[in-house]
Amino acid sequence: MIDAPSVGLVSLFLASILTSNVLLANFLGTCSFISISKDFRSSMGLGIAVTMVIGITSAVCWAVLYFVIKPLGIEYLSFIIFIIVIAGVVQMLEMIIDRFSPSLYMALGIFLPLITVNCAVLGVILFMQIRKYNFPQAVVFGFGSGAGWWLAIMLLASIRKKLDANTAVPAGLKGTGITLITIGFMAMAFVGFSGMIAVQ
Amino acid sequence: MKFLKQPMMRKVLIALAPIYLFSIWMYGLRTVAAAAVVFVFGIGTEWLFERTRAGKVSEAVLVTCALYAIAFPPATPLWILAVGIVFAVAMAKGVYGGFGRNIFNPAIAGRAFVYISFAVVLSRAYTEFGNFGIGAADALSSATPLAIMRAGGEVPIGRLLLGLRTGAIGEGMVLLIVLAAVYLMVTKTASWRIILATVLGGTLTNALLLVLRVPRALPMESLLAGSFLFMAVFMATDPVSAPKRQPSHYAYGALIGVTAVLIRTFSAFPEGTSFAILFGNTFASLIDIAVDSLKKPSRPSAGGSAAPSETKGGTQ
Repeated sequence: MIDAPSVGLVSLFLASILTSNVLLANFLGTCSFISISKDFRSSMGLGIAVTMVIGITSAVCWAVLYFVIKPLGIEYLSFIIFIIVIAGVVQMLEMIIDRFSPSLYMALGIFLPLITVNCAVLGVILFMQIRKYNFPQAVVFGFGSGAGWWLAIMLLASIRKKLDANTAVPAGLKGTGITLITIGFMAMAFVGFSGMIAVQ
Repeated sequence: MKFLKQPMMRKVLIALAPIYLFSIWMYGLRTVAAAAVVFVFGIGTEWLFERTRAGKVSEAVLVTCALYAIAFPPATPLWILAVGIVFAVAMAKGVYGGFGRNIFNPAIAGRAFVYISFAVVLSRAYTEFGNFGIGAADALSSATPLAIMRAGGEVPIGRLLLGLRTGAIGEGMVLLIVLAAVYLMVTKTASWRIILATVLGGTLTNALLLVLRVPRALPMESLLAGSFLFMAVFMATDPVSAPKRQPSHYAYGALIGVTAVLIRTFSAFPEGTSFAILFGNTFASLIDIAVDSLKKPSRPSAGGSAAPSETKGGTQ
């Protein structure tokens, strides 16, 4: 049906965490990355939620892409359809978390519905479409990218515990400014992995 | 200009002195010129930052400059060295509020910045060595030991131990680096845990790659080539950017060793040590948090964790 790229699932998983980390290599989903990383516990919760959402939506969107969009020839609608699918999955996840873990639901608060507009989710799905992944690859890539996002936000949250206690940062750079500089250095560390595993 | 007195940093400078003397024999005026430019721009940048908050220039910036200056190929253009050290001291240290508050090792931040920005220039900046650099061909593209091993060649282990090979200015002399490591460990300047864990992590990873017969695996001697030992002894042990808890040192060192070998073996870059240490710095705080949470038995609920910390604050 599709000519999927010949990349092993394990290397695809590692690549989506290290070489093409959705946050530190592609800079997708930085808004919630910067705002939530202030708090370590919420970062943990949001990281898990984003991983689940990206993993599930990339599986669902793969099915929608190859069983609905392509047969009907409506590729020009794919952006809108993907966004609707993401919104639906987030809504369902929200209801499930509310039912089974009210404390996590309360902790995530407004940020759970906001995952809908997290560009990392749509970005991963569009990568999946462009790179013509088959179903197992799409699922692994989705969960891998989510795990990469999760790792990145945990790292930043742990660094910000130190940064926010630091009063010597110049006034103009306090808060978001110094955080962006820190993210730059983190991205620099991840540059080292480039060329290790090709995902394209 | 007044300096903040830091005995620990002086010990690092003492440990670096023999390596500097050897580098001057290796590359002569090039070593001196590189160090001069780097020290002037590095101290100047730190002074500009400290002037605004009425602080003193730390002796740590001397260590940063001393390590940075000898971490580049001998024929690296001096303006590149200047750009890198200004970036390092300003962006990795100054904006974080100066000594003791930086997240990333400034020397490594500058080195990685230059290696990413000017990769092609640096790859052509290796020269012949020895005899105080007199008569060495300019910007000769001599193959580094890592490049020779990658191409399947062999490098005599004696030459690697004595540092008689092309490479960055001061990274090569293995015996002097080991001597410096012993001095730093005996005087408790550097954490022996980090050095040991880094070297073990790198060695075991390289051995594992060889045992698994990975096609791109480098021979074991490659650990003596490149800047692996130099970085393990001088850069990974920077007390500011390393984790603070002692048990974290093992995990931190191992992470750096493993990452360095993986990057130099598989990635597009010829050497992985700078990235590995930046990677380690990124993980340092998280490792500390993980160690702390393992030490304390995990509490049942979120409400339970808030209460004891409140009472603790009240008694103080």
